[in-house]
Amino acid sequence: MNLARLREAWERFFFTPQSPIPIAVFRILYGTCVTLTLILLHSEWLDWFGVHSWVTLSTMSRVEPGVRLNLFTVMPQSDSWISAFFWIFLCFAILLTIGLWTRLSSIAVFVCLASMQQRNLYILHGGDVFLRVTGFFLMFAPAGAALSVDRWIRVGRKLEGETIEPRAPWAQRMIQFELALLYFSSFLWKIKGAPWLNGTALFYVFHIHAIQRFPVPDWTQQLWILKLVTWYTLVLEFSLGVLIWFRPFRYPLLVLGLLFQLSIEYALNIPMFEWDVLTAYVLFVDPTDLQRMGRAARDFFFWRSRSAVPVS
Amino acid sequence: MSKISSHSDETVELSKPRRLKSRGSSHPANADNSGFRHGVISIFILFNLVAILSWAIPLQVTPLPQIKEIVRPYLLWAGLFQSWDFFAPNPRPVNSYIEAVAGTRDHYTRVFNFPRMEQLNYGQRYREERYRKFAEVLCDSQYAALWPDVARHVARLLDSSTDPPQTVVLMKFESPIQYGVTRIPEATPKPQFFYEYYVGGEDLR
Repeated sequence: MNLARLREAWERFFFTPQSPIPIAVFRILYGTCVTLTLILLHSEWLDWFGVHSWVTLSTMSRVEPGVRLNLFTVMPQSDSWISAFFWIFLCFAILLTIGLWTRLSSIAVFVCLASMQQRNLYILHGGDVFLRVTGFFLMFAPAGAALSVDRWIRVGRKLEGETIEPRAPWAQRMIQFELALLYFSSFLWKIKGAPWLNGTALFYVFHIHAIQRFPVPDWTQQLWILKLVTWYTLVLEFSLGVLIWFRPFRYPLLVLGLLFQLSIEYALNIPMFEWDVLTAYVLFVDPTDLQRMGRAARDFFFWRSRSAVPVS
Repeated sequence: MSKISSHSDETVELSKPRRLKSRGSSHPANADNSGFRHGVISIFILFNLVAILSWAIPLQVTPLPQIKEIVRPYLLWAGLFQSWDFFAPNPRPVNSYIEAVAGTRDHYTRVFNFPRMEQLNYGQRYREERYRKFAEVLCDSQYAALWPDVARHVARLLDSSTDPPQTVVLMKFESPIQYGVTRIPEATPKPQFFYEYYVGGEDLR
């Protein structure tokens, strides 16, 4: 491939306009995940982030040095300010979900999320990190160009037509890249460990009492099944990191990945992690298929609500 | 209605040209076509791709470690640092939990139990899972710098105006997971004391 063709492929991949509906659906799911994460944190907010929290700001700065985007380092150190930060953050997460002042909301959500995580890095799981890194690129995306209050207002004021204009998808591509990297990097980490290669890893995972959630059937705990599932995890993570970029594999892999994540959500207690990751799956769905699914869902609910009306 | 086909196989419907109120700026779809803007964005994309890959790919292959050192300040500042090492390279082959015991001025002891997920109901364990992660970190001596803060926090939680705590001891309980052994007798593991803190008067304010 010569340089000109490479450049052409780059332009096509990052800049050829496409429907903003996938990124808009992602915005809604992402905002919902951030909102739910905050709600789950609410009762312990000051224990984790307050002035006299488990890890103080000064300790955090000493243990994790470096200049970081962290509003906690500039806001007055009082619990009332830190509580106010929670509510402001929650408001912007809701605004982002509904798509009001979308650009401002996406920036505010990212800055608040990054600050919160930098304030206490020791209580985070992969889902939190995924929200942070994808939130960075969401700031640059046309996330309010569809399915948003912003668009509804613009159409109402005749600033936009009824038809949704296509946009350059480069920010969406970066979020897709983050999802693929999550799986591929996870695969690389796992093949460095003997338990993943010899198939014993999931036995240990499923016997850590503190992360068990709902009971799993006894037959799934047989050693040979756990070995197969361990190796299946490796194959699936590699595929979701690499093969997902190839169209023929994409939808089967998304279905397998969805089942994989949901089974983890059932068996292991890692709150919101699976949902945080699943939000980005929508970016790999073709916009026309998304619209078709949306229409089908609307027709289904419309039909149900119509059929629920008693005939006089 | 006319239709255009974009590179990603989807078909995007475009309306016939119509007059719309202008907000004084060109439409983003048109603005995106400017070569200069594409160039700037391309540099931004390329920089981020290289920086993120150098950080997240767990390979010590030249030049990844060198690039990682160069981009470290940017990734730390922007919050783009990331590691996807779920249960890897080796899942922890132990069950563990931690407790804190405070010794009071009048020689009584008070115990703070960090929430243990396996003893909580489904709703509680979903809400309080952060404690499991935090306890896992605390068991690691690499994070010994956190122990004084934790001890002070425990001292405040267990404080009493009539009999304040004077010492706080952090201890962990670990039992190994034996491969192939699915049911083991529920014996309480021996405690391992890993930190002792002498509480000062200012710690309780």
